Amino acid sequence: MSDFTLGLFYTVIRPEEKWILEAAEARGIPVERLPDDEVTFPLVRNGVKSDIVLNRSMSHTRSLYGLRFFEHYGLRTVNRFDVVNLCGDKILTSLRLQEAGIPTPRTVVALTPEAALKALDEVGYPAVLKPPVGSWGRLMAKVDDREEAEQIIEHKDALASPMHSVFYVQEYVPKPDRDIRANVIDGEFVAAIYRRSLAWRTNTARGGEGEPVGPSPEIEELAVRAAQAVGGGFLAVDLMESPDGLVVHEVNHTPEFKTVRAVTGVDIAAKVVDYVSEVARR
Amino acid sequence: MTQCPECEAHVERKDMIMGEVFSCPDCGTELEVTATEPFTVAYAPREEEDWGE
Repeated sequence: MSDFTLGLFYTVIRPEEKWILEAAEARGIPVERLPDDEVTFPLVRNGVKSDIVLNRSMSHTRSLYGLRFFEHYGLRTVNRFDVVNLCGDKILTSLRLQEAGIPTPRTVVALTPEAALKALDEVGYPAVLKPPVGSWGRLMAKVDDREEAEQIIEHKDALASPMHSVFYVQEYVPKPDRDIRANVIDGEFVAAIYRRSLAWRTNTARGGEGEPVGPSPEIEELAVRAAQAVGGGFLAVDLMESPDGLVVHEVNHTPEFKTVRAVTGVDIAAKVVDYVSEVARR
Repeated sequence: MTQCPECEAHVERKDMIMGEVFSCPDCGTELEVTATEPFTVAYAPREEEDWGE
């Protein structure tokens, strides 16, 4: 029997969460389910039985507040609030990657629609416009020229959220029709796949397909460096093969791994649960 | 056995657990297991703007 209780903070049970629950059960680890749409958070700890919380919430906002509360209650967390806060914001991630000397696409940020046009001119066309917070390639736009830029910026500006008036402008990286997703746990490379798509967004959530990546010390080393730069834990690093070599464009803090498991056969859920157990005992 | 709230097709629990999301085998609507004994399902939560990984 385990000497700790694992809290699973989650939105829904996808295959990933089901595998995590199975791996915990196989190791005799008691699990307290913490659905992110039901848990309430008093300022003083009350009722949470867990010793460590694994965040699997799909909502960035719920993840942030939930983790901050769990840490406030004195619980250990995977991933930590600071890591999720950084990885969930593309601007903060880019700054951190640049500070750590990790190759990343050329990026310019603008805080108003007017400045966004200047930022696009600085980056040069074609460029990619991304919301600073968001995932699965949602609301991203490839911008081919200034006319298109003006139209897209007008549309974004019309969206109510102030976050849509912050513009993250990135060079369009002419890459093969694939990018690389590399999973890292506690500073160790675990598995990587190519995500292939004829469209420019290769997210498997968008229908990109996974293919195995052969052993590549270069990918493995860069993925580990990027994961450690953002604070470490269980992370998925997204890389592109640019004409000048590998670049890291994103680090995901609550990765899905269904495709990675299907393509590589690596039991990520088991490795995550083993990592969480180790953190719980540190 | 229960029914899909969208198309009323019969849905079986099989080895599904509380909270699990799945697609209705008939109409493909995303559903969530809301109870196992007795087995009930509801529409899965809709993707929100800050959802991701």
